[in-house]
Amino acid sequence: MAVALQARKPPMGGIGKRVAYYPGCSLEGAARAYDVSTRIVAKELGLELDYLEDYNCCGAMETKNVTFWGTMLLNARNMSLAKKQGHNVIVAPCNGCSFSLQRAEYFLETDKKVFERINSLLKEGGVDPLTEIPHTYHILEWFYHEAGPEKVKERTRKPLKGLKVANYYGCLYTRPHFYARTYSHTGTEEQERPRMRETADDDEHPYYMEALLEAAGATSVEFEPMHTQCCGGPHSLSDEQVSEKFVMMILQTAKRNGADIIATECPLCHASLEMYRHRLMMKGVPDVDVPAAYFTQLLGIAFGYSAGDVKLKDNLSDPIPVLKRLGLV
Amino acid sequence: MAIHERSLVDPERILRKERLVIDGIDVSGDWNLIILPRVIEDYDLSFLDEVLEQPEGKTILQCYQCSYCTASCPVHNYWDERYNPRHFIHLARLGLIDELQKRADVMWRCVSCHKCTHRCPKGVLVEEVLKAILRVMAKRGIIEEYPSKKFDKFFLESVYEYGRIEDGELLFGWIEKQGYQVVKDPVLKKPIPFMGGVPEWLKQLAIKPIKNMNIGFLILNAKHMLFHPRTKNWNRFKQVLRKVMEEEGVFAH
Repeated sequence: MAVALQARKPPMGGIGKRVAYYPGCSLEGAARAYDVSTRIVAKELGLELDYLEDYNCCGAMETKNVTFWGTMLLNARNMSLAKKQGHNVIVAPCNGCSFSLQRAEYFLETDKKVFERINSLLKEGGVDPLTEIPHTYHILEWFYHEAGPEKVKERTRKPLKGLKVANYYGCLYTRPHFYARTYSHTGTEEQERPRMRETADDDEHPYYMEALLEAAGATSVEFEPMHTQCCGGPHSLSDEQVSEKFVMMILQTAKRNGADIIATECPLCHASLEMYRHRLMMKGVPDVDVPAAYFTQLLGIAFGYSAGDVKLKDNLSDPIPVLKRLGLV
Repeated sequence: MAIHERSLVDPERILRKERLVIDGIDVSGDWNLIILPRVIEDYDLSFLDEVLEQPEGKTILQCYQCSYCTASCPVHNYWDERYNPRHFIHLARLGLIDELQKRADVMWRCVSCHKCTHRCPKGVLVEEVLKAILRVMAKRGIIEEYPSKKFDKFFLESVYEYGRIEDGELLFGWIEKQGYQVVKDPVLKKPIPFMGGVPEWLKQLAIKPIKNMNIGFLILNAKHMLFHPRTKNWNRFKQVLRKVMEEEGVFAH
């Protein structure tokens, strides 16, 4: 397993116990289960989320493809709001949101022209200009560093015994290293990556989710290389053929490696997996019936919360029967 | 050019003959394949300049054509061999517009997984460069409106209008744009998810929360469908957003 391979362990802590929480549009609508369970897990681990008031959409991939300056502006506004609330760290639970914020961070930091123009535009739009650029972390990274597997183990009241999990990270959690600032934990050669940060997950073999869920008693199945394979992402509605094929590969690999459930950490990946899982099952494709659940939902169950508390009913792929069979809900 | 550009050889310029006699000498057998020479005169170097003008396109010059991006690309590996990021960068740098145009039907298929950008040993933001190339192609009218661009614009409209998106509106709005019949209630003109001519899979998924008696979920999503979530004080910011996007020509093409 990837965890065993880690040559150098990044130091714990260093992000802060109290951070600005940027949930993103999805988590306040169709993916509310992720939002609710995230709050539960944060509370249990002794961490504090400060809701970012009046935020706007990060623009995701779609806006970025059409307008560069518009996307920069959207994200700079959110950064400015975080600063106003007194935070230097933003935490986003969605891969797309954390990507967009980190991308804006990259261009603002490396290109002075972008920084100056965005600041004057922000002023024009009635938002405080940025003096300092807040850093964005994915929520998984935050959980791992500010709480860590030990704390999860300590809090676990109902271990996820016998649950075989395929940890699905998706694309943008560790990629690209320019924005996510990841580096290789296992690589032998030192890479020239000036902006890399110590707390980031391994770039090609991420293991934070695996470590947290294993601390909660679950067993991880082998899932490389599909753990970071694209689900279709921004094309999941506009390019159905490609997305369907990608999701089929992900689900079949999970099933054939013996997984009971796929743990996700991005509302778009989750929705894409669930949607195409249903469509593939309607077509009669074999080995695609693995349900999906957010990793926070699984942690919530391990912490002794009920299926209703972590909103397992919201998952369209219906993971309840699997968890019931193992006596977890 | 280190890598032989096999795909630049058009099929119609490959001649294969069973028997071939040149100047009275029979050269049949191993020598029966001839590629007619091709002279390219229309290198359009201003294309590269236009890519470089885009903020994301600046790194295109760092590329040394190692093809690590193509080797990593899931669209290339699992879907269509003709999707070749390295080659697109090469063509854009040469300014071979008509060759790019020939590949317009696959060029939009990038799923933005960023494997290419991540692994590039030269620090080229490959995904961003490809999007910059696409944008220049669209500006010049050498690529037709493609599905993902339609979706991007549809998404952007929602962000621009309200500051936030709403999943239900996005999903059903897109389904409707695809030509499916979406039934709407007569008063508020909001889609009714499980009725009408929407695809069968969507109907089945939409009815699941009702079957499960997941009342909280239903109320939340119904509320969002009726009252679109929006950012407060959005109007002033919207003006700036509009100004910036007009400069980029988002509304023009």
